[in-house]
Amino acid sequence: MLTRRDFMLGSGALAVAVSLPLRADAATGAQAIPGFLNAYLEISPDGRVRLHSPTTEMGQGTHTGHAVIIADELGVDIERVSVVTAEPADPFRRNGSMGSGGSWGVRYWYEPLRKATAQAREVLIAAGATQMGVAADQCRLKRGEVVHVASNRRLGIGSLTAAAAALPLPENPPLRPKSELRYTGRKVPRVDLAAKVRGEPVFASDIERPGMVYACAVLSPVFGAELDGFERDSVKSVAGVLDVVAIPGGAAVIAAHSWAALQGAEALKIRFKPTPHDGLDSATISRQMRAGLDADAGAIEARKDGDWDAVAKSASRIVRADYEAPYLSHAPMEPWNCTVEIDAGGVVHIWAPVQTQDRNRNAAATAAGVPPEKVRLHTTLLGGGFGRRLGSDGIAAAVVAAQAVKKPVKFFWRREDEFGQGWYRPAQVARLEAALDAEGRVAGLRVRTAGPSMSNSFSPQGLPAGQLDGSSVQTIRESRYKPAAFHVEWVRVDQPVTMAPWRAVGATQNGFFMECFIDEVARAAKRDPYQLRRELLAHDARALNVIDTVAKAAGWGGPLPGGHALGMAFVESYGSLCAEVAEVSLRDGRPFVHRVVCALDCGSIVLPDGVRSQVEGGIVQGLSAAMGEAVGIAEGRAVERNFDTYPLLRITQSPEHIETIIIESGEAMGGVGEPPLPPLAPAVVNALAALTGKPIRELPLSRHTFA
Amino acid sequence: MQITLKVNGEARSIDADPDMPLLWALRDFLGLKGAKYGCGIGACGACTVQVNGRAMRACVVPLKSVVGLEIRSIEGLGGGHPVQLAWLEEQVPQCGYCQTGQIMQAVALLEANPRPTAQQIRDGMNGVLCRCGTYPRIEAAVQRAAQSMAPKSEG
Repeated sequence: MLTRRDFMLGSGALAVAVSLPLRADAATGAQAIPGFLNAYLEISPDGRVRLHSPTTEMGQGTHTGHAVIIADELGVDIERVSVVTAEPADPFRRNGSMGSGGSWGVRYWYEPLRKATAQAREVLIAAGATQMGVAADQCRLKRGEVVHVASNRRLGIGSLTAAAAALPLPENPPLRPKSELRYTGRKVPRVDLAAKVRGEPVFASDIERPGMVYACAVLSPVFGAELDGFERDSVKSVAGVLDVVAIPGGAAVIAAHSWAALQGAEALKIRFKPTPHDGLDSATISRQMRAGLDADAGAIEARKDGDWDAVAKSASRIVRADYEAPYLSHAPMEPWNCTVEIDAGGVVHIWAPVQTQDRNRNAAATAAGVPPEKVRLHTTLLGGGFGRRLGSDGIAAAVVAAQAVKKPVKFFWRREDEFGQGWYRPAQVARLEAALDAEGRVAGLRVRTAGPSMSNSFSPQGLPAGQLDGSSVQTIRESRYKPAAFHVEWVRVDQPVTMAPWRAVGATQNGFFMECFIDEVARAAKRDPYQLRRELLAHDARALNVIDTVAKAAGWGGPLPGGHALGMAFVESYGSLCAEVAEVSLRDGRPFVHRVVCALDCGSIVLPDGVRSQVEGGIVQGLSAAMGEAVGIAEGRAVERNFDTYPLLRITQSPEHIETIIIESGEAMGGVGEPPLPPLAPAVVNALAALTGKPIRELPLSRHTFA
Repeated sequence: MQITLKVNGEARSIDADPDMPLLWALRDFLGLKGAKYGCGIGACGACTVQVNGRAMRACVVPLKSVVGLEIRSIEGLGGGHPVQLAWLEEQVPQCGYCQTGQIMQAVALLEANPRPTAQQIRDGMNGVLCRCGTYPRIEAAVQRAAQSMAPKSEG
């Protein structure tokens, strides 16, 4: 666990110098940064607590989850706790790197934050007891005060931090019993919402620095095309434009304000070099992926339970279907931007909306030609992430622009570039086969997926040929369904289109494939799809409970209004089991979702309203993708470049009712931000298929007509 | 050229291109950061403000068209507006980037129609996108705000 030595080693990179100057000599001990009890907890003299959180707050609520954890374990009112994202240092890293993804925010940090806070509490109590001349075991920490229980004498924790910081942290401090937790598991207002509702400047795009200029990027629409050249004179006549500078991937128009920079970007005459894929289009990509389904050579095994060939041979029937899912854009509402200021000492300050602090700091340092310690990365609140801000593709250009103009620079992309420079959810195809026995039971499943490797595109180290990209078979490889034989494999069909994790990653397309196929099998066998799932999960009490819970709450099998139908899906991802039932009808020939019932078993929870909020958001975003989202490729570039052609779901299309059932099974804490999304598309598609009798094997639904 | 705007009840003068969209006057010239850049084509609603009470997309409204008109941005609501309070009660925002636009759209909706039906709320809020998926809570918050703003003597 965290020791003071870890803290000191990490402290050179901590965010605290913003308000508390670091001493030059970090070897002077715990008081190098007054008020800090460890890397996470900063306590001011008036007893307010500022948490330096390992996580990025992008709307998922982990800052509030963390505030709850420390307020409870320390013993302070949550109104006295504020939260900022820390700068990268060891105490904030998971697997050697700091970042927020994989729905880890609460489930990973719950124990470390509790323990670190309990350590802080114990030394505060010890310091208070010493000052009062009583034994520490006669004192408690309650509502921000160390209280001597017998005499009711009290000392505020703000007055004790210096003395407490000089004490050794206990190795194994006791954790508070559940009865003493005031906030965990209860409805707590989010710590970031008051400022957001008032419209305060909490986003990177709101940052202003003295003498700042604005830089609008002009980037190649073709994936990976390099700059050939630009004509500086073409922007001369635009009032407010100051300069044009070359940046990685294109140019940046420097101007006195955003509007001038935008106009300059429109006016700039710029050329990009040709690429081998200038003619690439969606039809070619689709054809190549589907060819992968037919080619046995190069298939990489992901799961091999039992003997498919034997099961298939004795089967009374084989059901088979091919599916396809498109590239998807993250489309966060805040287009990429960051503000860079290089100070007189050569330290590069960056205010940026990033999900990965180490990756971005390292990229900025490389671009600036300085060691990472000379980059101070201030992570703001994010105007949406969904995985798009896991990458570091936008930061180097901002640093290069700031170096070129020698002034603080607000660097930003136009919405058209936020779409065009996307790192998308991969397009993927799949072939699923089921072997049915004479009684209509599923004796075997065989799944082959084919498509580009997201990990190869996204990971700086790539993915060697022959290795499995887990995301390409995610949730199918790990499926709890247990027929006698279950084979899963992947065929890699790389494309020059950039890709990154998109909320719930491979579970999104694979959940759609698998769960829609289960319903197709049920229809072929003339069986109820819920009962078929029960049969495939008969060995698994936890999974059965999840689908039984959702079926009961949704009234599965019960009466429905005319023209309505229900569809079910069950997808496990990020340590949580999630089942959803959607009730749909057709309105003017288009699908409409009246109601979604969700049962989520995420083990145990910290912030119930935060979980509900994530379930609702996952359902709406999942429906958005299912209904109309697809990034088309033509002439080597993304076709959709703004919200007029990439249709996000609007409120009139949103489900009228969402019912969330949180199951606290007591199993290991699971993720929450991602698991509610994947079941939505198959639940809706299954309901539509039940309504119309026609299977749907390609998304989005906007490409289909409904009689 | 010198342009005087009436923003949140105050006359504010700036030296700017009369064709510049209102959004950039608010954000870059007047330091009012509440309205957001989302699309630049009036398709997402993150920049929504009120002009003479009507919800407008500030990213496509040229300055010359709003001279002399009453412009209200989220900063003009003061923080304690019933719609803002309803937004907190329902814990609406996730990332929050679109929410100032959502709130300004809701204020304009309720000023025009103090007792909207559920369908009128949906229709009225349809122009403002939310990627986080807060629509169910937006609908609930507009309903709550309508109730809290309703004249007490009624009913």
